[in-house]
Amino acid sequence: MRIAIHHRLSITPPPGTVHALMQLLLTPQSGAGQKVESWSMDMPGLDNAARFTDAYGNIMHLVNQSRPEGELVVTVDGVVETMDNHGVLGRIGGEPVPALFKRRTQLTQGNEEIFGQFKGSSVNRLDVLHRLMAAVMEALVPEDAAAEPVPEGSEPNQSMSAAGMVQKMEGMTQSGGDVLTQVAESEGASIKSLPLASEFAHQFIGAARALNIPARYVTGYLADEGGSAALHAWAEAYDDRLGWIGFDPMLQLCPTEQHVRLAAGLDAHTTQPLRAVPLGDGVRILGISVAPAA
Amino acid sequence: MTMLGRTAQNLFWMSRYVERAENIARLLEVGYRMSLTSRREGGASEHLVSMMQAAEVDEAFAAKHDQADVDTVAHFMMFDPDNPSSVHSCLQAARTNARSVRTAITSDMWQSLNAAWLEFSQIRPSDVRGAKLLGLLQWVKQRSHEFRGAMLGTILRDDGFAFSQAGSFVERADNTARILDMKYYVLLPRATMVGGELDIQQWTLILRAASAHRSYRHFYRDRYKAHNIADYLILRPEMPRSLIYCARSMSDTLDTLAEIYGQRMICHEAAEQLCAMVENTSMDTIFAHGLHEFLNEFIGRNNHVTECMSVSYNFY
Amino acid sequence: MADTAPFDEMHNPDGSVREPYRVLAEWLAEQPEQALPLMQSDAEAIFRKLGITFAVYGSSEGTEKLIPFDVIPRIISAAEWRRLSKGIEQRVRALNAFLYDIYHRQEIIKAGRVPEQLILQNEAFCPEMMGLEPAQGVYAHIIGVDIVRVGPDDFYVLEDNLRTPSGVSYMLEDREAMMQLAPDLFHRSKVAPVETYPENLRRTLESVAPAGAGSSPNIVVLTPGIYNSAYFEHSFLADQMGAQLCEGPDLFVDGGKVYMRTTTGPTRVDVIYRRIDDDYLDPLTFRHDSMLGVPGLFNAYRAGNVTLVNAPGTGIADDKAVYTYVPDIIEFYLGEKSLLNNVPTYNCTDREQREWVLANIGELVVKEVHGSGGYGMLVGPTSTRAEQEEFKARILARPDNYIVQPTLALSTCPTYVNNGVAPRHVDLRPYVLVGDQVRITPGGLTRVALKEGSLVVNSSQGGGTKDTWVLED
Repeated sequence: MRIAIHHRLSITPPPGTVHALMQLLLTPQSGAGQKVESWSMDMPGLDNAARFTDAYGNIMHLVNQSRPEGELVVTVDGVVETMDNHGVLGRIGGEPVPALFKRRTQLTQGNEEIFGQFKGSSVNRLDVLHRLMAAVMEALVPEDAAAEPVPEGSEPNQSMSAAGMVQKMEGMTQSGGDVLTQVAESEGASIKSLPLASEFAHQFIGAARALNIPARYVTGYLADEGGSAALHAWAEAYDDRLGWIGFDPMLQLCPTEQHVRLAAGLDAHTTQPLRAVPLGDGVRILGISVAPAA
Repeated sequence: MTMLGRTAQNLFWMSRYVERAENIARLLEVGYRMSLTSRREGGASEHLVSMMQAAEVDEAFAAKHDQADVDTVAHFMMFDPDNPSSVHSCLQAARTNARSVRTAITSDMWQSLNAAWLEFSQIRPSDVRGAKLLGLLQWVKQRSHEFRGAMLGTILRDDGFAFSQAGSFVERADNTARILDMKYYVLLPRATMVGGELDIQQWTLILRAASAHRSYRHFYRDRYKAHNIADYLILRPEMPRSLIYCARSMSDTLDTLAEIYGQRMICHEAAEQLCAMVENTSMDTIFAHGLHEFLNEFIGRNNHVTECMSVSYNFY
Repeated sequence: MADTAPFDEMHNPDGSVREPYRVLAEWLAEQPEQALPLMQSDAEAIFRKLGITFAVYGSSEGTEKLIPFDVIPRIISAAEWRRLSKGIEQRVRALNAFLYDIYHRQEIIKAGRVPEQLILQNEAFCPEMMGLEPAQGVYAHIIGVDIVRVGPDDFYVLEDNLRTPSGVSYMLEDREAMMQLAPDLFHRSKVAPVETYPENLRRTLESVAPAGAGSSPNIVVLTPGIYNSAYFEHSFLADQMGAQLCEGPDLFVDGGKVYMRTTTGPTRVDVIYRRIDDDYLDPLTFRHDSMLGVPGLFNAYRAGNVTLVNAPGTGIADDKAVYTYVPDIIEFYLGEKSLLNNVPTYNCTDREQREWVLANIGELVVKEVHGSGGYGMLVGPTSTRAEQEEFKARILARPDNYIVQPTLALSTCPTYVNNGVAPRHVDLRPYVLVGDQVRITPGGLTRVALKEGSLVVNSSQGGGTKDTWVLED
């Protein structure tokens, strides 16, 4: 599937800022599930930016502005061709050792209620991970509203949409309907509110790590049928045979051709699409559209 | 070696604060003497308040105290850490600035400032009254002279010296202009040729505040005259606290920087404009255009030189 | 180990003088009665003059604070030093190799030689360092190794300091003072110089400049500022090296490169000897609330445009829990046996070891895993019963928070105390520089416990310093 992405976001450094620094994780890479056909990014100061690979293998830009005036807008446009690999990414060169992703962070402490039942389980890792995905749903969403648990071995329900999911969850969590667009809205080191998709991913990752399985946090775009979702977050876990495999615990499926992978890291904190010092009032999403390309 | 913008700034303010401590001590001495000799009801308080106006701390004082008497004012000007211009605050700030650039100044300069601060901070404010106050004010001035001597005798004549000198000249020019402005009305030409008792007292105050009461006699061999006093403190290049002396010294200092760095900056223009105000003019012209207006413009342009310096040389 | 008499560095058991101390012993015997007390008071005067800065920078209130200095030097023979420095070099090479591995493929974990949990879940492990290629492959460039001696050939490493070890300025000032105080003694002995340290530091820093830096890289020292207790050392070293002493706001990142703000505009910075802790280095990457650091600095480092000395994340190699694995680490990377001894360390999370520790606490030293400066520490043989009970309770409450070691009989050196010369316990912190080569300054900082019988040498606990002489052949 060819997906066209348009994404505009901004920060507004406080008046009188002498020097503003921004760190961008907004460059997807081609790999097993996707091929980046075209990608362009634009913002003041980008010509002069440093471009390098971060600790987790993502392409990062470091941009600075002297005496910025008003809002700094980042615009991203691109087309990505996606393939449905049932979430299997395999091993990619240049990435850190998978074991790194066993490190517990503030955001991935893991909930004993979720992973407890799998401790010492002799079931193969792949099955554990699928069941874990279902267990996260059970734990976060009361039974009557929860999606059907995924039966062992069967294909997850591919037709579920993010919009549908959010609708289902409304009123059950503190997050509202536009929760998916808030993925990037965090304040430096402290995440202001954990958006829904993040919460699912963190619970999954925390549980996997507690079971000694490397798991990482992924940010990306979602071409949603309902058209309401765009920025998204999910997880990837490591299997010695298959390599990295994606799991989207909020949608209860492995990433499909609707998922466009942007960056991976230990948790939401290390994968923020835009980080800045000083941050002012935080990152604002000015506009986003992710849709099948013409 | 290249110099950090912050180092330049620290050197500038180090000297500026030492100069300010000295000026505050001198102002306080005048205020104290005047209040002792004032025979009028409330006169003492008025003198003290106008002295604080010259130091631009009268509002800060009023916010803390109802009554301006010798003890409260002396304490406020000497020891109050809330008063950013108190001798306490000035010596501390000078030392803090020096400490940040410890390697850019000589050990004699450092020891002089450090000892001044350590000795000053040992003093119990409650012990300082009456004659002791005058003694302490004398001590502050001596410490300032000692620091200046240590600097002139030991520092390399490089950009660091220039930044440090600039700080002294800016502060001194500002101080002299403010003292004049505080009493400008007693200096205005008027019909009577002879000043009354009150005028003489005011004139003495102005001259003393600029440490100029004895050198005036040497220079003019004459009794106090309003015109002469204004001329002495504004236009006489021989007088080391006059506006023209400070403005020229500032301009020369900046020229040295331009030579060292091979480039003239906006601050050079600003310093030339400041000089132009006091060059090729006369007291008559200044009086004709208004002394108060003249002094205000001078203070503004003097500040502007600092602002331009901080842009030109990357102070924060 | 606690039962045997401590090793006297000056005398053999039969009372004769050991060879390295022969000249010193002769000199001491020649001194008239009043010479040492006079030297001691001269020393104070010299320090006040030389190091008036010690006194003043040491505290924000300007009160005097001099670390006691002992006028009798500690002496190490050339042969002893060769052995010692070989062991130190081996250790710092292995620790740097360990850091490279931990932040790349983690082979040592895969090989099962150090536990995965110990590294990956360790607070001192810095995931942001993964995959980064530091210049020359060096992470810890400036290292202080704390060593104690218990016998003629027995040296134990107590601790490796790979973050920002301090105290090197004391080593240099002690030597300066000693040369002024006893020029004749100095003249009679062939003492290896320590004054080369600033130049060697400069060379080390130059050798790890990023590729594009040119032949004369711009080096700066980054300090938290004048209120830091080690500010004197920061300014001293910058001065001695001819480097700029910067605070965070003096530096900024532009186009992924680091610049300092100078009176003539921005000047490119190539190497930063930073004396700011990892957490505060860069608010964009680490602690967001840091006012001390430079936003974007870490990413400029990651982009290969500047070198940070030491690299962030070196703390994983001097962690007290990782310490016990250093002999394995040396073997794994160098294929050699460790030349210096590690102090045997008991792990209180292991039930059997814990019970043994609790039963024998009176003979042991208990240290907090993250403690320093001699605080949070119990020295069994000199502790009261109440203190022992308190530490037992603490160990039971948080067994992972303590490591326990046997009490080492630290060697003693002659020390001038109470109008006489008497043996006092000492340790040694040699300073090591790692760049294009390993440079070890002969000697280092000797700390001495001035209280009779005391084994705690920290200056915060009544310790002093001595000049340390390594004799040349």
